[in-house]
Amino acid sequence: MFKFFKNPSIRKSILIPIISIFFFSLLLATTTTFLSYQKTTSDFAKESSKEINKQIVLNFDNYIESVINTLNYIQQQTVVYGLDDNNDVLFDIYKQAADVQPDIESVVLLDINGNVLVSSSYKAISLENLTYRNWFIEATSDKSIYHFSSPHIQDVFSDSTANVITLTNTADYYIDGEKLTGVIVIDINFSSIINLAGTTNLGDGGHLIIFDNDNSLIYSNNNSCNSYECVTLDIASDIIIGGKSVEVDGIAMYANINTLKDTRWRLATFGNIEIIDQTRENNLLTLVIILLGTFVLTLLASNYISRRISSPINKLKDHMQSIEKGDFYKKIEIDGQKEVVVLANSFNSMIEEIKTLMEKLVLEQKEKRKSEFIALQNQINPHFLYNTLDSIVYLSENKMNEKVMEMVIALSKFFRISISRGKNIILLKEEIEHARNYLLIQQIRYNNKFNYKFEIAKDVENYKVVKLSLQPIIENALYHGINTEYDEGSIIIRAFSEGEKLIFEVEDDGYGITDEKINELYQNIKIETKSNSVGLRSVYQRLKLYYGDEADFFIESELDVKTIVRFEIPLERAK
Amino acid sequence: MKKYLLLSQLLIVIFFITGCEDSYDKVPLILYNEIDPYILEFEEHILTEANGKVDIEVFDSKNSQLIQNEIFDDVLSKNPKLMIINPVDRLSSYTIIEKAKQENIPIIFINREPLEADLDLWDQLYYLGAPAENSAVIQSEMIKDLFGSPNDLSELDKNEDGIIQLVLFKGEQGHQDAEIRSEVVIRELEDYGYSIHTQILICDWERPIAYDKMNELLASLEIDIELVISNNDAMAIGAIDAMIDNDLFVDLDEDGIINRESDIWIPVIGIDGIEEALEYIETGYLFGTVINDSQRMSEILIELTHAIINGDDLTELSFDMIDGKYIWVDYHRFERD
Repeated sequence: MFKFFKNPSIRKSILIPIISIFFFSLLLATTTTFLSYQKTTSDFAKESSKEINKQIVLNFDNYIESVINTLNYIQQQTVVYGLDDNNDVLFDIYKQAADVQPDIESVVLLDINGNVLVSSSYKAISLENLTYRNWFIEATSDKSIYHFSSPHIQDVFSDSTANVITLTNTADYYIDGEKLTGVIVIDINFSSIINLAGTTNLGDGGHLIIFDNDNSLIYSNNNSCNSYECVTLDIASDIIIGGKSVEVDGIAMYANINTLKDTRWRLATFGNIEIIDQTRENNLLTLVIILLGTFVLTLLASNYISRRISSPINKLKDHMQSIEKGDFYKKIEIDGQKEVVVLANSFNSMIEEIKTLMEKLVLEQKEKRKSEFIALQNQINPHFLYNTLDSIVYLSENKMNEKVMEMVIALSKFFRISISRGKNIILLKEEIEHARNYLLIQQIRYNNKFNYKFEIAKDVENYKVVKLSLQPIIENALYHGINTEYDEGSIIIRAFSEGEKLIFEVEDDGYGITDEKINELYQNIKIETKSNSVGLRSVYQRLKLYYGDEADFFIESELDVKTIVRFEIPLERAK
Repeated sequence: MKKYLLLSQLLIVIFFITGCEDSYDKVPLILYNEIDPYILEFEEHILTEANGKVDIEVFDSKNSQLIQNEIFDDVLSKNPKLMIINPVDRLSSYTIIEKAKQENIPIIFINREPLEADLDLWDQLYYLGAPAENSAVIQSEMIKDLFGSPNDLSELDKNEDGIIQLVLFKGEQGHQDAEIRSEVVIRELEDYGYSIHTQILICDWERPIAYDKMNELLASLEIDIELVISNNDAMAIGAIDAMIDNDLFVDLDEDGIINRESDIWIPVIGIDGIEEALEYIETGYLFGTVINDSQRMSEILIELTHAIINGDDLTELSFDMIDGKYIWVDYHRFERD
């Protein structure tokens, strides 16, 4: 893994971070969106389902309350008016209560033995012993609560077919000032319960059930539910109370179970939330498609971008490799980012520069070889040798043995230094010795027609200098400078340091040179033309070759007084 | 490495988004209605008593069993160690008990007693309350002291017909306390031999309803009222306010106090002993009340709560427990010195 990240290519270093950042942020965004959406929708489903349940329960509560209020009213009236001989007052009150509320089938007051005292209905009373009825037993067993029965066929009368729920409670009444306790029986038409549940929208397959505290079914608006078998009743009795997501016949539902006030009943609603689940799945699918789509797009785009960036650079790299192999003559042409184009242009100029420098180097090498050849010629100037040997012959003919010896020694020293075992750079004092021998020979040859003097600073004697740089200048001064016809000429040779320069001067007191002549000389020496000042030119060129631009060459002259030829080399290079 | 880091961050973020269930150390106290002044006072006593011992979280059912069911369901999902419930509808307790049994969360019921059959469903259920009958008996004793011998009624029998004309303010119809208090006080008076004429007003324990119904009654009734009995103090005070408006209470010497000897007044007797009732007793408007000792109940409630949470031995508590579930705190008579 680490190897993979070590020195990655440009493409990789662009692709990997972009793709990973994109992928993770997208994944994060998608996940959070989906989770929050899921939470919101499921909260919403729960909430709306709860609200529907509450609304239905409230409807039932209100209805139950109104029935209980009726019962309370009847109880109160019963205790207030009591019973007289024909019970007219109570009969009117009971009948009115039953008539005003059409869902009340009948209101009946029974005494403690199950005998009917007052009935709102003209129907014939059942002949059976009513004290055995469940609703009668319950009413007398606990006076503090109201008793709602399960739906059943009305059984307080002998020939009723109405499906009713019976509400019972004890009631006090007076007969002749004596207080007695009986049972009030109110039969409520079961269809009113059905009507209360009828209009609620719980979605496809959604329904409600009402069940008793012993988990027996009171009512369901689901046709497949009956008192023997009801899937949702089992679910509801497991949940007991509250809300829960459940599955009914493969359909996602949200179940809510609540108690119904003042009864032992519970109401459960089952709301279809399949649609929410489906929307959620669609949403997830959309999100995944967007995620993958964006990821693929990112992959393509970043691949394209990284390729665009890296391809000119790769081209440049290939070009460089071809140059490494020595191909300097191919020019690179790149289209692409500005930076790379600039880089390519710079690269081209650099290659151009390298090419020029290489050509220059070749030329310089040629020049160097040429001047070295000249210097080599100078080392053994045949004319000088013939002339010197002639002089020696002449001296020996005249028996001037002393002079012959002096000259031969000088000549020998002159050549020894000239050759110097092939070295090009020699000590300054050796160069001076060379010049001195040369002058000694020439002085003898010219019969002391001139004199010379060396003014060498002690501290520069051990510096190094290009061989045979002084002798040609002295030769020049000797042949062209001094005037040996009228009086003795004199030559002064100087070597000293000044600042960062080592300076050599050859001064003569000859005719001097006009300024035009000096310019002409400069032209001859410094600019390449065929010239007769071979000596000076070769000195100049060799100095330039060895020391570069830092070496310089001057001619100063005062007509009929003196001429100074001076050259300078950097002190640093002479050490 | 980088990728693992990102992945772990992602997981952390997801973890925070989805949220985590923290443990719930509070004891929920679900009251039936905070508008009831007695309940409010009871709540204050409980919270004071609980301070530093048990962390109580109070919920108000706003006199709706629907709301109470919703609160119960919410609280249940937090899995508390114990619940204290003051039921709105005592019949609905059956459902709550079944659910609590399923989730194994003990419940202490207060103030409204579930059906005995329902409380017998599980051994982790408790009821803390006052014996409703006891309060009515104390009320009847106060009345006996006021009216004297049935054969020779005191001067409080204003029309001197030998019959006590009384108005009974009843709490919620079907509420066990309301039923018992009303029934017992009437029975006690009748058994003692009084001739009484009773007018019952059902006012759901609430002062404004009592005020309205009393006004209605006074506007329609010709006969005198010689005694007012109420199932609780709040309704008694509502009735007194209505009677003040109808000049049945007149502070003749304007000393701010109803003087038994010199001012016009009618005996009114309540139950509960709420703060405001004690003030009304101080000024002489309310003759007396039967104190439902919410202070003592709060002490017991917190002691029991503490013991259940800590799994202590419930036989070694400072109070008696009947059948391992019923704790009764007696009422006290209270009137002006």
